[in-house]
Order: sequence, then structure tokens, then C-alpha cells
Amino acid sequence: MFERFTKRARTVVVHAQELARERRSPTIGSEHLLLGLFAVPDGLAATILSRLQVDRADVEADLGRGAPFDAEGLATLGIDLEEVRRQAEETFGPGALDRTQAAQGRWRGGHIPFERDAKKALELGLREAVRLGHGFIGTEHLLLGLLHDGRARDVLVARGVGLDGTRALVEELVRKRQAG
Amino acid sequence: MTDATQVAAAASSRDPAVGLAAVASLRGLLESLEELQVGNARAQGWSWQQIAQALRVSRQAVHKKYRRFGI
Repeated sequence: MFERFTKRARTVVVHAQELARERRSPTIGSEHLLLGLFAVPDGLAATILSRLQVDRADVEADLGRGAPFDAEGLATLGIDLEEVRRQAEETFGPGALDRTQAAQGRWRGGHIPFERDAKKALELGLREAVRLGHGFIGTEHLLLGLLHDGRARDVLVARGVGLDGTRALVEELVRKRQAG
Repeated sequence: MTDATQVAAAASSRDPAVGLAAVASLRGLLESLEELQVGNARAQGWSWQQIAQALRVSRQAVHKKYRRFGI
């Protein structure tokens, strides 16, 4: 599928993977793809999002930053993250725990698999491209793919961005300029 | 009851999604704690062999894991 991606669309996927890694997510989700669209500012998707007045900071706020440690999950095991952090800082200095490479997500190299909603969005992006009669998958098609379902869609719809309106906008913009 | 114990009580449910995610979180924390300790040991002049023995893993495993970070 990726062979039909434009260079910008590939960059979106690479950014999504980096974001997932930074956030210590075990998978690349639709939310990472959505944030990836903002990372390619000259892409058509970023243009559309900006025209629809959706900015990255808002989307990020809606999605939650993704803390390096999961205090709630650890609490279910009886582990008090604050206490662990305090102990680590007492021994190794302020911010010791959060400064580790592991906490900053530099730990895992290599491949992070796509979550089901992200995979679905990529497939739907392909379908959107076909539907519009485009022989390639650009960032605009990824955006349309994300608008069908999943966390990214929920965030976008909450900000007034829907599939039909966005599709119309893509058609209009593609007519006007080179895709990307 | 604190937030943490509330969460702990809620998690005595047998939902695998909750339990598995908690274990994954613990692994993340473990990696950071191990990195701090390995870094400290190296700073104090411990050999990879000594660190590996204390961690109860092979020397190769610990060396391979940490050397690339320049610890």
C-alpha cells in the first residue's frame, strides 16, 4: 500500500511512528496519524486543517499528552508512582526518573505496529483516493481516511470537521493545486 | 480513600485490558529504574560483569542494552 503514498504522506506515517514512540505507546493509533498530519505543514491535509481552524495544540489537548509513566495503571498494582519518583529523585537528583532515556521513549528502536483504527484509516485513505480518481495517496486522503472512525475522528468531529465537508474541500483544492 | 486506592479497588475487576495495561506500565517504570541504577553503577566504576550479576542477567544482555546510550 505504501508504494502509492506521496512523499508527504510517507512523512506523516514516519512522524506518527515517532510520536507513538515518544509517548511510549505500544501501537501507532489514529491519533498519532492525525498529529502526524500537522507535522507536514506543506501537505494538503495541514492546509485543510488550518482552513478549518483546527490547530495542533487543540488536537493535542483533546487527545491528552501521553505521560511517560502511567500513574493510574501503576496504582492498580499498588505502586505509587509519586513515591517512586520521589525516591529516585532523592537518590539521583531532580527529574532523575523522567530524564531517563527509557522515560523519554528513546528506548525502543525499530518497528511499532499499527493499531486497528490506524490501519483502517490507512485503508480508507486508499479507498478515498480511488473514489476521487487519484492514483496516489496524499496527506489529504489520509485525513479523509481518519474521518471515518476512531479517536482521531471523534476529535475532529467535535471540532466541527466532518467527512463530507472535508471531502468537498479536498476536491476543490486538488483541482487547484498539485496534490500532496 | 485516596485516588490511588480507589483506582486499585476498581482494578480488582478481572478486566484483562486493565490488568495487561498495568503490567505494561510497570515494565516502562522498570526500564527507567534499571537505567538509573545501571548508569549509577557505571559511574561508580562497576564492570558490565558485576552489573549483570547483580541484575541476574547475562553480561552480553546488559552490555548490548546500555552501551549504545553511552552510559
